[in-house]
Amino acid sequence: MRRTVLSALLSCALLLGLAGCAAQTPSPAPDCAPAEGDRLVVYTSHKEEVWRPIVKEFEERTGIWVDVVYGPTSELLKRVAQEEKSPQADVMFGGGAESLTAYRHCFTPYACAGADRILARFRAPDGLWTPFSALPVVLIYNTKLVAPGEVTRWADLLDPRLKGRIAFSDPAASGSSYTALATMLSALGGERDETIRRFAENLGGVQLDSSGEVLTAVANGDAWVGITLEESALKRIAEEKNIAMVYPEDGVSCVPDGTAIVKGAPHEENARLFLDFTVSPEVQSLLTSRFCRRSVLDGAVLLDGVPRLDQLPLVSYDLDRAAADREAILMTWAFYFGGAGS
Amino acid sequence: MKKTPALSFRARLFAAFLLASLVPLLICSAMLLQIFRLRMTDAAETEAQAHLNSALHVLDEACGGFVRAADALRGDPLVLSALSGGGGEDTRVYARLFEATASARDCARFDLYDARGNWRYSTRNAPAVRTLPVDWGPLHHAREASGLVFTACEDPTDGGSPLLQGAAALSAADGTPAGYVVVSLYQSDFHQLLEGAYGAQGALILLSGYWRPVYCAQPSLAVSLAPRLRSRLLSGQRLEEASDGFLYSVERHEGTGLYLVLRRPQVFTRDTMGLLYTVSAFCALICVAVSVLMGLSLSRQMFRPIAQLRSAIGEVEQGSLDVQVAQHRDDELGELARRFNDMVAALKRNQAQLVENQRELNQAQIRMLQAQLNPHFLCNTLDTMKWISKINKVPQVALMSTNLADILRFCISPEEFVPLGREGEILERYIEIQRLRLSGSFNFTLSLPEELADCLVPKMILQPLVENAILHGVDGVEDGAVRVEVSQTRDGLLRVAVSDNGKGFPPEMLGRFREISRPGGHLGLYNVDTILLKYYGEGCGLTLENGEGGAGAAVTAVLPVRREEEAEC
Repeated sequence: MRRTVLSALLSCALLLGLAGCAAQTPSPAPDCAPAEGDRLVVYTSHKEEVWRPIVKEFEERTGIWVDVVYGPTSELLKRVAQEEKSPQADVMFGGGAESLTAYRHCFTPYACAGADRILARFRAPDGLWTPFSALPVVLIYNTKLVAPGEVTRWADLLDPRLKGRIAFSDPAASGSSYTALATMLSALGGERDETIRRFAENLGGVQLDSSGEVLTAVANGDAWVGITLEESALKRIAEEKNIAMVYPEDGVSCVPDGTAIVKGAPHEENARLFLDFTVSPEVQSLLTSRFCRRSVLDGAVLLDGVPRLDQLPLVSYDLDRAAADREAILMTWAFYFGGAGS
Repeated sequence: MKKTPALSFRARLFAAFLLASLVPLLICSAMLLQIFRLRMTDAAETEAQAHLNSALHVLDEACGGFVRAADALRGDPLVLSALSGGGGEDTRVYARLFEATASARDCARFDLYDARGNWRYSTRNAPAVRTLPVDWGPLHHAREASGLVFTACEDPTDGGSPLLQGAAALSAADGTPAGYVVVSLYQSDFHQLLEGAYGAQGALILLSGYWRPVYCAQPSLAVSLAPRLRSRLLSGQRLEEASDGFLYSVERHEGTGLYLVLRRPQVFTRDTMGLLYTVSAFCALICVAVSVLMGLSLSRQMFRPIAQLRSAIGEVEQGSLDVQVAQHRDDELGELARRFNDMVAALKRNQAQLVENQRELNQAQIRMLQAQLNPHFLCNTLDTMKWISKINKVPQVALMSTNLADILRFCISPEEFVPLGREGEILERYIEIQRLRLSGSFNFTLSLPEELADCLVPKMILQPLVENAILHGVDGVEDGAVRVEVSQTRDGLLRVAVSDNGKGFPPEMLGRFREISRPGGHLGLYNVDTILLKYYGEGCGLTLENGEGGAGAAVTAVLPVRREEEAEC
């Protein structure tokens, strides 16, 4: 009997050896990986077409390898907050200024090189974030469905005539959508909850999953009007002729998106270089020429046909308050929108 | 309990077969697989390296051509002055441009830009965008560096724009920037350059210095694979993923700073290994099955004859001696069966002999019992006869009946063995009776040495011999003589010879009595012989002889010498 056991053991050992040998695969990890000091981890909510050229140019100029993690602003900020104990990210690149402010505890202030070139209105008072581009919230409409001059103000969006015909993305998911909602509340004034209720009801239970869908919905006629950012609208208008853009007469907000260094970032030195780079004249001019965005630098060139900031009816938009009220406004929104939708 | 030995024997046989077949098989499979795998992997690796080297070589040559062209243009005063706006005919500039790029422009596009990044001359059609930013991308890098600097594209999936651009700044003699020469390689250019350089099975991916995709023969890989490779590199892992079955080789091209990554299918994928393992396992299974069958059949071959033998032995134990084991084999087991059969046959013969002996003894005893029938009555009658004859003064009758009564009493006494001296006394009585009967016409001598008188012999063995001598040897013979001689042979046996001087035995009766006589013939001699045989076994008994010249017969009895003390034990 012992021999049987012995042979069984022997065969098992052989088979295991066989499997073990087979599991080995040659070719070691390549040694071209960068040193730890030549790395940077960037969380970005920008579209790939935006971050790719900037990151690539940054890599080539500095020799720093950038590892990019991209996703929606809210998810990335939550992730940064979760990783507070052992931060993985160095830089949060993108996200509205009020979203970054809301996660103030996750970031460390930094005064970037050339900060004096940035327009004062876009500077963060405490240097928590560095502005990247200015993003006015605008209204768009389908020129085949809405006559010019028909929709010019935030107040028009409360008109029952447009009920169910407004393209608006979920403010809980999209930072720009929240900025739009806050701007609208600020522009319309009056009882906040009441305004939210009326707007939510006028949506007719339809809200879009992402801000990109707003343009599509208006362009293909699913919605008559939409709320989006100036840069998205300009880019789409350049491709499609049946969309028009208006700056709401009763108040335009121009909240910058920004870049911030994560507190306790593993590669903080490189993160600073990256922030400096994002506000460098080269990148800022690229914003305008390639991404239809407004530069945050003083005296920067504007796209043809785009009004200067001081020509717009700017509404006072308190970033700190928008950040502080975020939860309350979103709760109210969810309450009324859910009520209207059901 | 009954089955256990067989099972364990089978199990051991099975284990032995298994060991002898499975272990070498497994070792062989393992070694073959291993050698096969190593050889194949080695060959594949060498091949991959060769492909990479040939791709590197192609790139080297192309790059060398670009550098030479750029150098030629940088030193060309006509081109420099044309770019700095100093005039010059376009055709002459083009002539210089085409001359300088003659060897390299098949696989790339050459453009000349002025110092502000405006396009001026090209070896192909004019580009869609006629201005390049001087503070961004290739022109920026060219200004920062001295020679031809290569910059990767932003989006490798965009077929319309160049995938790789090399730029070199052109400076006038006084050092002021005059413009740029830009080399652009498109998807089709790479395709043309690298086609056939890296083998059909592999996929070549060109990555920038920061491992961002530049060119893939299959454009979809730029999107799907390149980011994965980069993230694996950054996280310090191997490029191979356990699941996807590919291997990667990486080389850096110094001229352009590009990384060449050759992806090739793993020679030994999980499926191949699985197949090989399955084959091995199948072989092992066959081995096990054959081992089981062999073990079973061999053990059955061993076990069946042994079981037959065992049951036959059981039957013999039960007393049946007719059993025979079938024997069809010539090996040791066949011999065993044959010997068993022989043994049973011998046993059976012995038993038959035993039964025969017993039967003969019983018959002798019955005859003796019949002879002893009512002897007391006879003795008393004889005594009465003695007294009546004494009263009537017939002394012969008195003597006869006294002797007869003594003999009779001796006969019915319970002892089986008596001393030879006592046997002699009774013989004297018998002779006296016979003298009266035969009117004293014969001579009788008894020669019994004193030292043999106490030898114990079976009762009444002399009388039948003497009677035989008197009846057949002396009766009717003038001056007859009967002689009884007791002696001890050299072998230590007791020899009793009874001889007469009569006409002797017929010749066919001579020799050992037993072999020539049948029961019922000479009943007296037969009884004596039988008694001697039964008591003392073979070697004892009667021998019949004739005297010299055929005169007189002699019956000799041979039996062992026993005395009182020996007989008792």
